[in-house]
Amino acid sequence: MIRGKCWVADDYVMAYNIIIQEYWISPINPEENSKWVMAGVKEEFNKENGFKDGGYTFIVAAHNFAGGGKSIEHVITGLMGAGIKAVFADSFARLQFRNAINYGLPFVTSKDIAKGCNTGDELEYDPSTGNITNLTTNKSFNSVPAAPFVAEVESAGGLMNFVRDKIAKGQPIG
Amino acid sequence: MGMTITEKIMARTSGRDQVKPGELVWVDINTVMTMDYLGKQCFTKFRSLGKSEVFDKDRVICVSDHLVPPPNQKFATMLNEWREVVREHDITHFYDLGRQGIAHQIMVEQGHVLPGTVSIGTDSHANTYGAVGAVGNAVGVTDAAVAMATGKAWFRVPEAVKFNITGTWQPWIMAKDLSLHIMGMMHWNGHLIYKTLEFTGPAISALDMAGRMTLCNMTVDLGAKNGIVAPDQVTVDYLSGVAKGEWEMLDSDEDAHYEAVYEVDVTNVGPTVALPDKLDDTVPVEKVVGTKFNKAFVGTCTNGRLEDLAIMAQILKDKQIHRDINMIVVPASQTVYLDALRAGYLETLIEAGAAIDTPSCASCAGIHTGVAGDGDIVLSAGNRNMKGRMGSKNAQIYLTSPAVVAASSVTGVITDPRTFN
Repeated sequence: MIRGKCWVADDYVMAYNIIIQEYWISPINPEENSKWVMAGVKEEFNKENGFKDGGYTFIVAAHNFAGGGKSIEHVITGLMGAGIKAVFADSFARLQFRNAINYGLPFVTSKDIAKGCNTGDELEYDPSTGNITNLTTNKSFNSVPAAPFVAEVESAGGLMNFVRDKIAKGQPIG
Repeated sequence: MGMTITEKIMARTSGRDQVKPGELVWVDINTVMTMDYLGKQCFTKFRSLGKSEVFDKDRVICVSDHLVPPPNQKFATMLNEWREVVREHDITHFYDLGRQGIAHQIMVEQGHVLPGTVSIGTDSHANTYGAVGAVGNAVGVTDAAVAMATGKAWFRVPEAVKFNITGTWQPWIMAKDLSLHIMGMMHWNGHLIYKTLEFTGPAISALDMAGRMTLCNMTVDLGAKNGIVAPDQVTVDYLSGVAKGEWEMLDSDEDAHYEAVYEVDVTNVGPTVALPDKLDDTVPVEKVVGTKFNKAFVGTCTNGRLEDLAIMAQILKDKQIHRDINMIVVPASQTVYLDALRAGYLETLIEAGAAIDTPSCASCAGIHTGVAGDGDIVLSAGNRNMKGRMGSKNAQIYLTSPAVVAASSVTGVITDPRTFN
């Protein structure tokens, strides 16, 4: 069970705005990438630790979260470094959906959740059932459970750990 | 039930007879590409898996494209670290400054992408590889590191959507116009997220490899997993002499399943323009004829090929670019550069008043040469136009074909190449 405060996107969130251009060439590192994560999404986040200092655990968004192209992993490490434990949305852009799986950050598909939450609401997410409860408004939402492979990678702590373990044991990865 | 070409490729590369959409497979990759600004991190991650030698040093392709030539000390130092790590791993194919090009152009033009196989790259426009009938896919550094170590990548077999393109290409109409037309048709609303997009029909058979690359390139911007054109004689001719490895002709079965099939008659597709900020906000050129701009840009993995420079040279022959327009033209690779030079295209463009820059991603990603400043209005043949893409957030970017850029640069306002004299 994960519990915490959510930030609700009021518009389409592009990967470009989660990590803005000047930080694309930075090293991929949660601590570093989180300092300026979401800098292009809202003016209030466009300062050092602007988003991170909000203390959010979840992001709630509408369709095609982190879309608009860009395969850079800084998007995921930036969110993770800022304390995000799961992102809920109608749909996710595939490049970052893939990266999120590889890092073990749950990108959880849940319809209509964006309409049922406000920034600052306290949410509780149960990864085992996929159930999301808005404790502030007492509303519940279902989500699409993670595919077995995704759950396996998540429990290994990401694809690197998953593959490293297989290589060390001399096992085939697939 | 038959299979689509993408399903067939995923089946054969994962050692199965059959795969279905939604299934998760680990496929053997043909090649994995990485570039200057992310490559060192790929190798670092790869080493952290407990390996010191890549799965096949002929099939890890390294390219310098985003940072070359370095405009500042920071980039120069990054490039030095990158070169060191590539040499350390004894990578066979390293396309560094002097032999460089935009990675996706290099991958296809140098035969590192083969029909019926899977190639991945750490840049979002790796979808370009579908032009030769391969599954081309963009990945992050993690997937590239895993592929370098194991020769494998995981994929969820995508649902398929077909675009059947009929009719006849009209004069001055390019694959870019069709791409932008489809972008406007489908929007960024998520219909095509995760899908494989297959392009078929007589107008695709009639399309050259440059055009197929443009079309597949921009499928990432539709949200798709990949875009693909089944190999045919155009593919065979293109790959002859350059293909690095064996390959086979695959095509979708007659009874393959598609979630949707869209018909587009290319006869009715005219020059198309995406308005600033949103790629799917597209209009026929007639709607924006007369719009002022001050910078013109042709290059990128979308439109920096010989055929693109040829059509520009045709339009700009004995013409002068308007004195208020600064045009930058960036051939997509050293090979394209040399071919365009020998064909006389660059001479024509220079005589017309265009600046030719050395092959790189240039201003497309807003981090290298020719970036946009406050107040700039750019008419670009690139692939993205969101605020700040080419530099300043206070610049506007119109996206269109090289033909529209060339004709417009003479008049100084957006111009329809069909009525340009």
